[in-house]
Amino acid sequence: MAENDERALQKVSLQSNDGQIITVDRVVAERSLLIKNLIEDLGDEAVMNEAIPLPNVNEPVLRKVVEWCEHHRKDPPQTTEDENDSRKKSTEIDEWDQKFMQVDQEMLFEIILAANYMDIKPLLDVGCKTVANMIKGKSPEEIRKTFNITNDFTPEEEEQIRRENEWAEDR
Amino acid sequence: MSNFKRASMAGAGPKSTSSSAMMAGGGHSKNGSILNALRATTMIDTKPVLPAEILVTILDYLPVSDLLRFARTSRRMREMVYDDTRWVARLRSMGVWDEAEARRRFEEVMKRRREAAERAERERLAAAAAATGTTGGSMPIGRGQPFPGQSLELFPGLQQQYPTPPPVITTTLFDAGEEELRRKRIAEEQKKREEAIQAAAQRRAMEEMEGLQDGFETMKVGGGQGGLLPTAPQKDPFSDPEALLNVIKNARSIRGHARQEYGKIYGALAPFYFDLAKAKSHTDPVVFRVFRDPERQAQMLANLRTFAKSDWAAGWRQREEKLATMAGIFESAVLHEFETGYEFWDVDGRMHKYAHVLDLLNGGTAAVELFIHKHPIFTDKEVLANPMDCVNQALADDVTLEPSRRFFEVLTAKVNEQADIIQRVFPKPAEVFWLLMGKIRDDILTDYVTPLFDETHERSLAAYVKAVSGLFEQTLQFFRTVNAPKNEKNAKEQEELAKEYALKVFEQHLDLYLADELDYFTQQAEAEVGEWEKKLSEQDATAESFYMGSFTNRQADKKDFLTSFKKVVMMPVSALPSLPLGSPFASKPATTPTTATTAAANGGELQAPENPEQSHPVSPSLAAPVTVDRTGSPLPDKAPTDELAAKAALMTSRLEGIKSLFSIEIALSLVHMAKSSLGRAAVFIQLGGQAGGEAREQCEAIFVALLRILGSRHIKPGFDKAVAHLSQYNPREVSHHDKGGVAPLVTFIELVNVGDLISQMIDVFYEQQLTTPKIADRNDFLDPAGLAKKKFEQMLDESVAAGLNKGIDVLMDEVEYVCATTQQPTDYNPAMTTDPFNDAASISGMSVTTEGTTSTTTNSSNNNNRKSRYKSGTPSIWSLPSLPGTPPTPGGSSGTTTNSLGPQDIGPTATALRIRDLVASHTSMLTGSTDKSMLDVFNGEVGLRLFTAVCKHLKRQRISTEGAIKLIADVNLYYEYIRTLKNQDLLAYFKALRELSQIYLIDAKHHAKEMATIIADNERFSGVFRAEEVYEYAERRADWYNVRKEVERAMYGLECLVM
Repeated sequence: MAENDERALQKVSLQSNDGQIITVDRVVAERSLLIKNLIEDLGDEAVMNEAIPLPNVNEPVLRKVVEWCEHHRKDPPQTTEDENDSRKKSTEIDEWDQKFMQVDQEMLFEIILAANYMDIKPLLDVGCKTVANMIKGKSPEEIRKTFNITNDFTPEEEEQIRRENEWAEDR
Repeated sequence: MSNFKRASMAGAGPKSTSSSAMMAGGGHSKNGSILNALRATTMIDTKPVLPAEILVTILDYLPVSDLLRFARTSRRMREMVYDDTRWVARLRSMGVWDEAEARRRFEEVMKRRREAAERAERERLAAAAAATGTTGGSMPIGRGQPFPGQSLELFPGLQQQYPTPPPVITTTLFDAGEEELRRKRIAEEQKKREEAIQAAAQRRAMEEMEGLQDGFETMKVGGGQGGLLPTAPQKDPFSDPEALLNVIKNARSIRGHARQEYGKIYGALAPFYFDLAKAKSHTDPVVFRVFRDPERQAQMLANLRTFAKSDWAAGWRQREEKLATMAGIFESAVLHEFETGYEFWDVDGRMHKYAHVLDLLNGGTAAVELFIHKHPIFTDKEVLANPMDCVNQALADDVTLEPSRRFFEVLTAKVNEQADIIQRVFPKPAEVFWLLMGKIRDDILTDYVTPLFDETHERSLAAYVKAVSGLFEQTLQFFRTVNAPKNEKNAKEQEELAKEYALKVFEQHLDLYLADELDYFTQQAEAEVGEWEKKLSEQDATAESFYMGSFTNRQADKKDFLTSFKKVVMMPVSALPSLPLGSPFASKPATTPTTATTAAANGGELQAPENPEQSHPVSPSLAAPVTVDRTGSPLPDKAPTDELAAKAALMTSRLEGIKSLFSIEIALSLVHMAKSSLGRAAVFIQLGGQAGGEAREQCEAIFVALLRILGSRHIKPGFDKAVAHLSQYNPREVSHHDKGGVAPLVTFIELVNVGDLISQMIDVFYEQQLTTPKIADRNDFLDPAGLAKKKFEQMLDESVAAGLNKGIDVLMDEVEYVCATTQQPTDYNPAMTTDPFNDAASISGMSVTTEGTTSTTTNSSNNNNRKSRYKSGTPSIWSLPSLPGTPPTPGGSSGTTTNSLGPQDIGPTATALRIRDLVASHTSMLTGSTDKSMLDVFNGEVGLRLFTAVCKHLKRQRISTEGAIKLIADVNLYYEYIRTLKNQDLLAYFKALRELSQIYLIDAKHHAKEMATIIADNERFSGVFRAEEVYEYAERRADWYNVRKEVERAMYGLECLVM
């Protein structure tokens, strides 16, 4: 237990790609599997003394991510082997997360990318669900706009796909 | 999720390098540089475009309709959405995807396509040959037709794959057709390549999407239904409700077609599903309006429940809950109908109908529970019997199983009746039936059995063990014989289920019972032995003297008894080797006639214990050990004939003699008790599993206890006592020696015989009761029962060996005593008393010289001697002289027992006869009663000791030439006897002795020289006697002092000659 307490008090410094250093509790930082594994591999001292660079993440995003991690510090550690279907079905987005994700789209994507990079699966899931909710009920054209997708179909082709999948349309 | 680790395209590089560097590094000195390196990398692309991996994850969260709208945004998105694995996952979640079926289909399609390609190739060649003359304009179209699915979709993909398309040479119709074929071939090759990597490709579908795109597309259209599928579900479900009911059942597993298959199901069910999810009350949902009858409603609800499993978009939980609520309302309504039907006992009407409806809905557990819970059998007065009847109707401390048998009979009848009803009501009768049985077991059987056991346990152990075993048998029988409704897999299961259910009832009692059974047996057996010991010690004071007296007085009886006894003992060995000795444990038909006759012979006494044994398989517990009739001997049962049976019965009464040592009756009743205990416990073995194993162990424990009590408590002390008697024996203190038996030794040998009998009994018991039903494994040398048996036998052997050791001493003491007391000095030296005969002897000795002439006058009574002598093949100088020596012998018999032999008789002396009889009777008594090798050792030892005794005896005698005849006759007698022992080493001694005995026959006065030769002839005595010893014996000649000089001279002269 003593070791755990000690760990709880330890701090880790994270450095964003624009050079900002954010210091967080070790447990918070370890919500990210990337950082957790890094600390395990390099040993405590190396990490305690120097900031961990996160070249894929800029400061505002990193702050956002850290905010999420702070809020979810007490969550059970994520299990790596959880590939079954119940995972997909398991959760609705909770209220705090919903609020947390109320950011502009660019930021949302950045958070998702950062969560992906830093290997924070719950955050990634929340992000994906948020995006999914954004897609819901939109027309293809609206989706294209949102996601910056170029339409490479001919109108006939598009019509054919629509017909193919007519069964799925809400009646 | 490896997908996530690989991360965005930009981030992937640095991360992977850093992690590999981490692996390689590890040391602290490098850590800084790694961090530096990480720091040094710069981000090139920070534009927030979500990579494919993340898009895929996002798509997982989309509802189906949005998903397919998303597919319309671009080709790449379409491929992502259309990816087969995505749809297979949904089908799989509903449990309708069959991987094996998919593979089979896929392979079939591949095969068909290959064949088609080959056919096309042939046609093309033929066409090419014919091309010169004909137009062939319609050909290409014709060729194209077998592959209607090879639609346009294929080609864009192909062109992507092959940026430079195969050269199109001309624009004629014909060439265009050929071009198309070529493309098909290319597609074919492409397919084959894919086939090899198919499995891997599916898994890595997203990464290789670009490369595989064509493959998936081709497959999809290859099935030939691409265009049709989407339209199928478009049929108005309201117009074709029947198709809807089976839509899930009809789903197929086709690779590349999962989306279409799912589409069919979705098209059919989703409207109902979402409608139901939105419904406010149970009257709203369309599903209840489209389908009016409850069967279809139930079917539809079950379908929707399955379908809900493939819905994992946001809000699925509420939808599923709603569905469950609706189904619940529906279920309770149906259940109510069922209950009403149940109350009116409307078996084939409402009950049948609604049970099936509920089964369609959710397996019908609710109906089954209701049915079982409210079943009238649990309140049926007829069934609910009072278990105490079993105790009350029996004698004190006993239990009768008749009421319980009636109880089970009634129950069986009732249950069979119910089985029929269940079959009529429920779609899966077997399951329902066994559930009902479970409830019957818990409520009726346990309630019946437990108080009965508690009661009997309080009353007496005997009743308890009987009740447990008997009821178990009945219970198992009950479960086995009930008419369970059969379903396809149930046929062989009833046995299993019966065991399982029976075990459930008895589980809580089993441990106690098994422990009690062993206790009970041990207790009974100890009591039996203890009582016997007590009785014995009460008589002890008087018994000792009576015992010794009775033996010596009743030697004749003893002998007679022993013969019959031995016959009985031998019988199972020689005539009925495989049949059990003691038929108390044999219910084989072979012995039944005997049983009848012996029972008759014993005045029907045996009938009582016998009957329960015969009926054992039906009600083992009826075979109570207490019913064993101890007054009547069970022994006769094993005798195959009336004569032996009678003798054996007689024998038992005569066994009185060794009553103070141990009793075969005790042994028998112990075995009997063990048998009934075993019989009771063994019924549990068939349960198998842990309980069966425990029962088996307990059975072995009972057997071990039997051997322990029988062996160390009963037999061993008996042997010890007998051995003690033996060692105290002193022939001089016993007054009667007339009948040729050493009392304690005879007793002991009887004991050995009885011990052997018991041992054989145990062996048979082991075979019958433990090995045959597979309680004990004979080949397992660690098996406790086998070990105990070995130990028991070993104990017996040791006791026998120790006793025999003492027995030889005693026997030889007796032999010496007989020699010393009965051998008359005149036996071998008749001249001592009557001088005239001595003279005559010397006269006859003279006449010996006339060799050959008298040989014809051989006395017929001397034949034996002569024969054996001829057999020994000694070319003798005395063989002929001996013959004329016969006439004088009659004279030597005066005043001795030899007298009775008559003047012509030159047979062995009475002493020799007695010794022979003494030894022979004792050794032969043992034959067959103990281990053969031990017997050989015993006989060898007896023979050797007899030899020594005879030699010793000889040295005490004085032998005249006439007496030599007697001596030779005696020695021959011994020799003949030893020959029957079939021991070559031993025979050599007696052969030598026989040679030796002939030195007394030589007329030393005239043949001193020859005598000297013989004395010095080592060969003749085959090394048994040395010359000096022979010389010593020669000194025993009556006329030694007369002839000594000459013999010595001859000897020394001879020696000189040799020197």
